[in-house]
Amino acid sequence: MNVKFLNPFVDAAHDILSLETHQPVQRGELRLEAGAYQTDDATVIISLVGAVDGTVFYSMSKEVAVGLASVLMGEKFESLDRLAQSGIAELGNVITGQASMKLAAAGFESNISTPSLILGKGASISTLEFPRLIVPLVTYIGPMTIHLALREGLQPNLKTPQLGIPKVDLLNR
Amino acid sequence: MDAKLLNPFIQAAVEVLEAEVSATVSRKEISMQNSSLTSDDITVLINLIGDVYGVVMYGMSTKTCMNLISKIMGQEFTELNSLAQSGVAELGNVISGRATIKFSEAGYISNISTPTVLKGSGIEISTLGFSRIVVPLDTQFGVLTVHIALREKNSGDLPVPDALVSLINAPLSPKGS
Repeated sequence: MNVKFLNPFVDAAHDILSLETHQPVQRGELRLEAGAYQTDDATVIISLVGAVDGTVFYSMSKEVAVGLASVLMGEKFESLDRLAQSGIAELGNVITGQASMKLAAAGFESNISTPSLILGKGASISTLEFPRLIVPLVTYIGPMTIHLALREGLQPNLKTPQLGIPKVDLLNR
Repeated sequence: MDAKLLNPFIQAAVEVLEAEVSATVSRKEISMQNSSLTSDDITVLINLIGDVYGVVMYGMSTKTCMNLISKIMGQEFTELNSLAQSGVAELGNVISGRATIKFSEAGYISNISTPTVLKGSGIEISTLGFSRIVVPLDTQFGVLTVHIALREKNSGDLPVPDALVSLINAPLSPKGS
């Protein structure tokens, strides 16, 4: 994987998580994995298409997902219900959206897909020949891991209509 | 979800299955679901981005997957190794790619993402706000279930009711008059 795609995601995730949780966010040690990813309780999947191609996963335990959803939506969740699920998916969406803006500013314009959420531990997800760069992040609520399986796209001059990039303040409603 | 977003996928899936594995395909009953999908043994997930956007998933049992892959690749597979995974991902890729060509012929330009292969049954996959149309395709190799959760760009804009329009257009009158 191209390392220049890493920083936009780390920066975006760091900025958004520290802004939303009002606490500093620590970055753990980066590593590269080639095998399939064994899912945690909750995983948000978002694809990128364009000058950067591939998939990004945001994985976390159920406790962290519920905790983060509570902080993001400003109400206490007891379980990962539909509203909490959409909060977590939106978090992935906002981070990926902001990262894709940073990538576009660096000359790599891409579109992002709608998020899908996978609930259930122990499934295995393969990104095929894409190796994954693992970025562990630790918030005061608990750890969240970003998996980046990206490469330079085959469609560098892609000009599909841009999906709207969500605004961070939307999460504070 | 609009039926015009559905047909290109069904047609593409049938065409590809017929061409690649000489399958006799019959369509079982189509259903619409709002809840999250409980995964089959193997699920290939592909996102669409553009005028038509959302996610399409191809679910099947391990047995069906082995049958299909063995036929496509021309060698016997008994486990989902990395070659078999790329084979099944490619099947999803070809069907989705063919469907997007049909969309583009109808004037909707979309791109497809790289496929992701999910292994493990009983996992919940939520498409969040997107409702999902489930199309089971029966072949002699087993059932391939296509889950389609797509939207047309801007179709989410609700029409503004007439009463509201007249209210917005009504001249402001001072209070109490």
